[in-house]
Amino acid sequence: MSGEETTPHMGLRMLAVLGVSLSLGGLAHWMNMDRSQVISCTVFFLIIMSTLMFWTFRLAIAFIGIGALMGLNVLDLPTFIHECKLDVILFLVGMMVTVGVLKELGLFTWIIQGVIKTHHMTGMKFVMILVFLSAFMACAVDEVTSIIFVATLVFQVCDTLKMRPTPFLMISVLATNIGSTGTMLGNPVGILIGQKVTPPLKFLDFLTWSFPIMVLVLVVTLFLLLYWYRRDIHLLSERLAARREMGLGLGPLVRVPYRRSLGILVGMLGFIALHHQMENWLGLAPNTVLIVAPLVVAGVLMVWRRERARHYIEADVEWWTLLFFMMLFAVAGTLEHTRVTERIAVGFQEAFHGRSWLLTPVIMVISAFGSAFVDNIVFVASFLPVVDRLGQTPLIWALLHGTCLGGNITLIGSTANIVALGMLEKRYHSHIHFFEWFRVGIVVGLISCLIAWGCIALLSPYMPTKAQRMGEPEVPVQMMEIVPDKEVTYVDVEKVTP
Amino acid sequence: MKKPGFQKTAASNHKINGVHFSSFFDPGQVICQTDTEDRNGIFREMLERLARQHGIAEWEKACQVLVEQEERYPALLGSQIAVPHVRLESIDTVVAGVVTSQKGIVYGKGVEPVKLLILMLVPKAAPGAYLQALSALSKACQSPEVAERISALKSGEEVWRFFYQQGMILPDHVCACDIMDPVKVKLQEHDTLEKAIDLFVRHGVEELPVVDKDEDLIGIVSAHELLRVCLPDYILWMDDVSTILNFEPFAELLRKENKTWLAEIMTSEYVTVGEEAPAIQVAKELARSRANHAYIVRGQRLVGVVALERFLSRILRE
Repeated sequence: MSGEETTPHMGLRMLAVLGVSLSLGGLAHWMNMDRSQVISCTVFFLIIMSTLMFWTFRLAIAFIGIGALMGLNVLDLPTFIHECKLDVILFLVGMMVTVGVLKELGLFTWIIQGVIKTHHMTGMKFVMILVFLSAFMACAVDEVTSIIFVATLVFQVCDTLKMRPTPFLMISVLATNIGSTGTMLGNPVGILIGQKVTPPLKFLDFLTWSFPIMVLVLVVTLFLLLYWYRRDIHLLSERLAARREMGLGLGPLVRVPYRRSLGILVGMLGFIALHHQMENWLGLAPNTVLIVAPLVVAGVLMVWRRERARHYIEADVEWWTLLFFMMLFAVAGTLEHTRVTERIAVGFQEAFHGRSWLLTPVIMVISAFGSAFVDNIVFVASFLPVVDRLGQTPLIWALLHGTCLGGNITLIGSTANIVALGMLEKRYHSHIHFFEWFRVGIVVGLISCLIAWGCIALLSPYMPTKAQRMGEPEVPVQMMEIVPDKEVTYVDVEKVTP
Repeated sequence: MKKPGFQKTAASNHKINGVHFSSFFDPGQVICQTDTEDRNGIFREMLERLARQHGIAEWEKACQVLVEQEERYPALLGSQIAVPHVRLESIDTVVAGVVTSQKGIVYGKGVEPVKLLILMLVPKAAPGAYLQALSALSKACQSPEVAERISALKSGEEVWRFFYQQGMILPDHVCACDIMDPVKVKLQEHDTLEKAIDLFVRHGVEELPVVDKDEDLIGIVSAHELLRVCLPDYILWMDDVSTILNFEPFAELLRKENKTWLAEIMTSEYVTVGEEAPAIQVAKELARSRANHAYIVRGQRLVGVVALERFLSRILRE
């Protein structure tokens, strides 16, 4: 929201926020929800709408929303603290500190220089590198970190060649969002889903079921983007060739002592990848090592570079974002606490009873379009309990892919998009128009969601059921039956499907 | 038609818009065809005369300030004309004194002797008054013969009448072109980085404008930008720069400096102000963009430059 916005304009927005939220609260009342459910729905929509309309005030709005929920006796302090999901927050803190240290140690400089000094670079080669680099960096160090470093590479190359950076920045962002589905580290959504489904997912689950889908989606998207931006890529090739003929590079190169930082990254990823085995060996609760590994690595690095330790905590950790996440998790947790999510899950169950195969595309479509317009972490935090209640493993992957791939549809669809747009505005004082993004975003979003859906449908029979993941006696194929206000029970799918 | 008479003190209460320059002095405030060649002696003589006439007590201190100021920035206006001024708290009107010399007053090393010296006393509360007067004078004194013609006049009355007849009306506001300096060094669009570095080093400037064949301003090259070419973001991320202690990125730049066109490091982020825009527009643009230079243009054509420190000096000190 602009600081110069007029009071009547703000007033209209406030009225819209209140109108929509109260209407949805009324709808909840009409659906025979009880008092606490109606209040939690109304406040939830009030916060969601307010963050959409007054983005710069999102944290303040979330604080006030939490206060309102507590004041109305819908949320109590112990539930609030439980629902803040401190495990997810601490994991992100550890990752942010580690990434800050890796940046200072020159890891990302080394990666960018590796691209800059590539021999016989062409436009097509550059785009291919950009797509895979964005995606795999997102897999390793999360989407926001990835886009910050890849955008710097794009700006360096485009500035040197005097080219418009927008097409290449958009290519990077689209690839980053796709890559963020590859591992649990790719996106805060990944760690939230992995940690909060019942039972929690392992890092290896992501590598087994999500990473291959990501690679396939990425390759198809690469071809699509090569065609879509063929003119810009051709121009880039021409300018690269002209520069090469003059014996000029794309930027200065320095010797980077990258081995230490690469060792730290590989070590941390190894630590995280082996978390399940370590937890079994040490007799720890699921995902304890996964959550603690980045924190321990960050702690060791802070001891090693103690003179910079305070800087890493104060400057490299995005406290604003993390606090916003905590508040949103708590608000979304209230929906679960007041059993609103259970009601929705029952609704889904009744609507798709006997047609469980339809649930995957439905969840994917809802997630994709939901996260295209609402911050994807907000969407997942509120929708995850519903999906978790439905108890089908493929639906979890549908939620993950729908949310991350749906983030490509609009320019506000994911945090990576917003960060990249901010960098573009800061550097070039220019911005991407909504439809400039939407034209390519909707095509990439739809095609990638279709591929992901196809892959999930194909892999579904091989995916472990919820019971198998919990280590309970194996039941061939299960579908959950939800009985309101009662514990979840499982029935044989053969009995409920025609 | 009304006969011209001495209409003094029309410029009271700091409002001097539309005032005739000749109203700032009368024939008694003119020293005609002086034989003195000593600049400081002339300052003293004229200030003493003005002080007597207008009851200015602090004239000796003003003289000292004037001498120091002219040592730093000789207030020359075209050929053989100087318009020094000093700001005083004790006056509320602009006061001028005119000195003419046929031999010329020695004004400083390497400076052509001055034949017309217009000394102005300006109220401190009117920071733009001097610039407005200078604007009016500069339009009338564009011709190189003006100083010769005035110095040939025999009496103070003739000198006063000359000024009156020239119609030197003070403008409503000071324009950007009134406070600009000429562009001493600039680059052509086809120049290489090598030439830019040479000019940076030789002239000790922070930035250089780049013009095309029509003298239109197309960008600037700044020393800061040059530094960022050597040390881009991805190198600045590193905390430990011990591996580049020998300035390797600079060596790379040096190696390719004669192959690198300015277009590669030129930036289009600079401040321009139209020459007829009010001078305050220059201040606004400098403040808003946090720039150190504003380029003054006629259409797209570069006609001058206002450096921040010169702007402050002109408005607040000179």
